[in-house]
Amino acid sequence: MNERVQLEVPATSLDDSHDEDELLRAVEEHGVGFKVTFTLLGMVILFCWAIFGRQLLRGLGVTGLNQPVSWGFYIVNFVFFIGISHAGTLISAILRLTQAEWRRPITRMAEIITVVVLAIGGLHPVLDLGRPDRMLNIFTSGRLQSPLLWDVCSISAYFMASTVYLFLPMIPDIALLRDRGARPHWFYAFLSWGWQGTPRQHAVLERAIAILMILVIPIAISVHTVISYIFAMTLQPGWHSTIFGPYFVVGAIFSGIAALMVVMIVLRRVFHLERFLKPIHFDHLAKLLLVMSLLWFYFTFCEYITAFFGNEPSEMRVFFYKFSGGFAPYFWGMVACNFLIPVVLLAFRRFRTIPGILFASIAVVIGMWLERLNIVIPSLANPRLPYPTGFYVPSLVEWAIFIGAFASFILGYAIFSRFFPLISVWEIKEGKKHSLAATSERVRGYLPDPLPQKVIGGESS
Amino acid sequence: MARWGMVIDLDRCTGCAACMAACHQENNIATAGPEEARDASRVFQWMRMLKEVSGEGADVRVRFMPQPCFNCDNPPCVRVCPVHATYLSPDGIVGQVYGRCIGCRYCMVACPYGAKVFNWLDPEWPGDLKRRANPDVSLRPRGVVEKCTFCHHRIIRAREAARLSGRELEDGDVTTACAESCPAKAIVFGDLAEAGSRVSRLARGPRAFRLHDDLGTEPKVIYLAEKK
Amino acid sequence: MSQDTVSERMEQRVIFGLQVLSVSMIWVFCLGICAWVIHLLLLSHQLHDVPSASVGISIVAIPVFITGASVLTYVFIGLQRGGVAPNAGGEKREDS
Repeated sequence: MNERVQLEVPATSLDDSHDEDELLRAVEEHGVGFKVTFTLLGMVILFCWAIFGRQLLRGLGVTGLNQPVSWGFYIVNFVFFIGISHAGTLISAILRLTQAEWRRPITRMAEIITVVVLAIGGLHPVLDLGRPDRMLNIFTSGRLQSPLLWDVCSISAYFMASTVYLFLPMIPDIALLRDRGARPHWFYAFLSWGWQGTPRQHAVLERAIAILMILVIPIAISVHTVISYIFAMTLQPGWHSTIFGPYFVVGAIFSGIAALMVVMIVLRRVFHLERFLKPIHFDHLAKLLLVMSLLWFYFTFCEYITAFFGNEPSEMRVFFYKFSGGFAPYFWGMVACNFLIPVVLLAFRRFRTIPGILFASIAVVIGMWLERLNIVIPSLANPRLPYPTGFYVPSLVEWAIFIGAFASFILGYAIFSRFFPLISVWEIKEGKKHSLAATSERVRGYLPDPLPQKVIGGESS
Repeated sequence: MARWGMVIDLDRCTGCAACMAACHQENNIATAGPEEARDASRVFQWMRMLKEVSGEGADVRVRFMPQPCFNCDNPPCVRVCPVHATYLSPDGIVGQVYGRCIGCRYCMVACPYGAKVFNWLDPEWPGDLKRRANPDVSLRPRGVVEKCTFCHHRIIRAREAARLSGRELEDGDVTTACAESCPAKAIVFGDLAEAGSRVSRLARGPRAFRLHDDLGTEPKVIYLAEKK
Repeated sequence: MSQDTVSERMEQRVIFGLQVLSVSMIWVFCLGICAWVIHLLLLSHQLHDVPSASVGISIVAIPVFITGASVLTYVFIGLQRGGVAPNAGGEKREDS
């Protein structure tokens, strides 16, 4: 064969321990930043809960909900937050499955988003209930034929699967913290499950992660499909569409990647992770976001042109309400945020810088929230029977829960970063040690095989 | 088994809304109050009046269509309730179990006719209306969904009275509050399964139609179109 | 830790006990959900609901939960088994 390319094996122990120190600094050094963040966010959340107390005391009448618009912010935010949870699955599971090496610093942050956001999103339907004190009726007299029950099942399954999927790859890092003497010691000893880094333990862990990463993908797809069925299984114009299942999944992955990038950019600055989260990571994710934006636009286009061409009166009433009626600012705002801004910013390398990516991602997060709003409100405001068009003005309580939900998300993340490393230390180490060799082996497998020896011997003689 | 249904003759209906008033009184329906009804769009009615204004100037025509819950035979609301708080009874009435409803409002959202109403706040009855409530109909708490029940309590009473007399229910034994109060006799209530009853004869007439029955909901309120 | 004091060994045993307890709680949770789904399945049969939805969900949801709990148990037992005994020479520790 010809000359072999010299592989650069990075310096191991010195670099590794420096990596460890850097990545574990937030856990081991108890700075004032966390306490300040915790106190501030805690106060915001408590305040929002206090405002929600009005709803618990007086009933749902304190919201802006009415007839016909009997679902509003709570359901919009429910769908929105569960949608963002797809960040974890896509990045973690699919990138692990495809053995994409650039996933290593990203997977943990993505998995944390999923778990925190599922807890927040899963709480929203309970906040929306007229009688939350009767919530246990779902357990005693639930009907499995109702899409809401399918939802309860699939979100619980996803929550369990993603918590396990977050926990298992964290075990070696927890053991590392335990061995480095992080406080409280019993906490890390308890969670590390006796990890000592032996080859047999590694084999067990790798196999478990492999099983889970395959299991978690269909569960995640089912979650948002089932959420879409809550709408699609009714007979309302604008909702009763077969495209809803895939549309919601695409939208969820789209919003998930955008939220992940916002989180990554913010944490990169706050925790000084510039060495680990490099522009190339954002570049790859930005291209993925661009693809999802185009895909989202394709689905949206299909949905609306089908309604428009059919020209059915009830559908057209909803259609024109969104296109040119009272809801037009929110509809076109959604298109701008989800399609125009991301495509312009992410398609051209000149704009695909970290500030540009941050702006595009924030636009997508806002745009996808507007998309949920566009799905829930217009169909309810324009009933089939010729009643006047409804309206919906969210009240203080709903805004309070909205703000509280975001604050809870940030707080959940802050608490996590206080106790666990945000970037997977052992996977980075594994990447440094084995990935270069493993990847070049893999690439060698793709390239044409060398000629058989007999032919070479025959020709040269 | 009876199959309770209703026929509303739009030719006779004058839009006087006596049916709405009677329904409010009979079923202990709370009042929403002017702010809630107007500003918050939370009108509290089991019998709604759909008003259609067509034409302009001197040719303006207003048509009224009283709409109770249609008690569909294939009810989309029953299919989506997560806790079995709404159900289709064997005699064709879509019932509401106020004690089990968790107030998720999925049935309200699923009903293509908008027939269900929600108790957004603690229900209020002005003056001493609460003390003069109909004892046959339970008062609903806050946070549950309610709707027209075809005056099911009257059906139960009539059935008991008939059994005491040793006979079955006959056509005309029971009627709803709205049908009873209509001065134009536009609303007829009865057993659609009984071929000879007035309501089934009218329902088979040439002017009979149902709202949006292309949706497959099988509503049991049949309208008789206006004669031209 | 080459020499474990009595209190450290106590601590290790308490922690091990808590770990076993946590894994059992996960099984309690998982089997609880399976029991609930079966309860709803029987209820829907009683109420003459359309069987497709209820049976379909039961067939999918129950194996998913059981798989999740099984994976966790497998990891726990595997980690306990594959570790180095406290004072043995044994397998060399490999951090990678």
